[in-house]
Amino acid sequence: MKRKVTVGTILKQVFLILWLILCLFPLYWMFTMSLKDTNEIFGGNMVGLPTQWLWSNYGNAWGSGGRVSNYMLNSVIDTFATLIGTSLLGYMSAYGLLRMRWKGQKVVFTYILMGMMIPMHAALYPLTEILLTLTKTHWALIIPYVAFNIPITILILSGFIANIPYEMEEAACIDGSGIYRTAFTIILPMMVPALITAAIFVFLQVWNELLLASLFTTDSVRTLTVGIKQMSGQYQTDYGSMGAGLVIATLPTLVLYMCMSGQVQKSLIAGAVKG
Amino acid sequence: MKRVLSNKWNIAVFVLPTVLFFTYIVIFPIFKTLWYSLLNEIPAKIGDQSHFSGIEHYITMFTPGRRNSFPGAVVNSLSYAAISVFIQLPFSLFIALLLANGVKGESMYRNVFFIPVVISSVVVSLLWGRLYKSLLPQIFESLNWEIPKNGFLGNEQTKILFSFIPSLWQYVGYHMLLMYGALKSIPDDIIEAATVDGASGPMLAFRIQIPMIKPMLKVCLSFSLIGSFKLFDTPWVLLERSNMDLPALSMYVEMFSNHKYSYASAQAIFIVLECLVFTVLLNVVFKDRDGKRLGRGKGAA
Repeated sequence: MKRKVTVGTILKQVFLILWLILCLFPLYWMFTMSLKDTNEIFGGNMVGLPTQWLWSNYGNAWGSGGRVSNYMLNSVIDTFATLIGTSLLGYMSAYGLLRMRWKGQKVVFTYILMGMMIPMHAALYPLTEILLTLTKTHWALIIPYVAFNIPITILILSGFIANIPYEMEEAACIDGSGIYRTAFTIILPMMVPALITAAIFVFLQVWNELLLASLFTTDSVRTLTVGIKQMSGQYQTDYGSMGAGLVIATLPTLVLYMCMSGQVQKSLIAGAVKG
Repeated sequence: MKRVLSNKWNIAVFVLPTVLFFTYIVIFPIFKTLWYSLLNEIPAKIGDQSHFSGIEHYITMFTPGRRNSFPGAVVNSLSYAAISVFIQLPFSLFIALLLANGVKGESMYRNVFFIPVVISSVVVSLLWGRLYKSLLPQIFESLNWEIPKNGFLGNEQTKILFSFIPSLWQYVGYHMLLMYGALKSIPDDIIEAATVDGASGPMLAFRIQIPMIKPMLKVCLSFSLIGSFKLFDTPWVLLERSNMDLPALSMYVEMFSNHKYSYASAQAIFIVLECLVFTVLLNVVFKDRDGKRLGRGKGAA
């Protein structure tokens, strides 16, 4: 069946292309800004391509002027540690809550999932009391990031773990494998796709988080979101470097998305359908 | 086998660390916030006196007064919710329907529309902030439109609306993807049957497709409602630090700039309650509708 070209299909395409431009324009604007000098950004050439491609803006933002390299390292450490934490704790508790059999497992499961409905705002001040002494370290962010992302991790894992037949455990048990060996060498490898799905979701949450990061970090452990927010205030004059900072901060998520857009979309759908 | 899977010691090793950690960092602070919100003030150091003041802060919060900005903040968050529900969601649904019904470049469009979602809201806000200061005034000028005094974000009347736009723009892609996924999971034979019966275009959308993705629409609705009450990042980056025009901003300023911890805790609890109330309301509304639809379906059969 061949689709005919009608007025309708043309209108559809025009509409979709307009929105496409609106989606991409801020990104285009960001990339070109990062390669221009301030005069050009303010002068006649706001929208066009840079007349001179000033890659030195990246050097400024990364090293001397800005401290994006530092922020980046901190974000990487916090995010990576959070993912290890949520994956390990999430998997272990999901296994214990959904594979093992005990009274009250449903209650505990619901208890943890209820945590998803509660916004972080509600815990802010008491969290400050707990974490204030840690603000010179990475723990001040890793701890709340792991805790607040445990429910969603367990929820995403629960959908997958239910599909693994119990015969897996029975066979392992008959072969003399203990529970820890079964959980970590037999079931865990089968859960890798689920763990990746959950990890991508958590990665995007943590990498882009601003509220806690602005409260619980001091200079040496600043993360990217807070860092570039501060830069935008400090470097009022050097917009090119600020643009470069924005690009550097965006690149990791953008590259992840470009490499595995299908997987990223799947993760965010899984994270949204909270039941 | 059964014995292994219900060994109490093993279960404790698997579950207990997470439960304790989660309780200490997530649940315990919430109850502490609730308790703080009922005190007149949190003692700054040991030995300071604080006394129970009941719902006093909750009353102060909603007592009209020239210096009390919280009611206005709540109204602002509700207007964000309204814009989101009546403009952003229908727009996303429209795109989702266009894509799901098959156009050239379907997956390319879907992938690109989703890009803003993965970008940090700080970056998005800073970019839009620059647009408001440089490009948008030029566009307004060339169209002979009036530019608000003091710029789009400096003007009392327009600043709230313009601080909403970036996050509305950003999350169209998320809603679109959720709806698109739901539309694609409607079995083909239903769509085919409807098409054979002569349904097409708007008729197919309103009679078949939209009713069938109601559960996902509910997810989107609760997302946008809860998101409006918690809205923080974008307006915080775009507007000045002392801005208190949204509930979460107001709470933040009262807490960390004005150091009125217990009053701010009451605002935090109010935000949580607002989220819970609207979640319950959505459940009630959607349950009713589903019940009626099922009833009608039976009658017809």
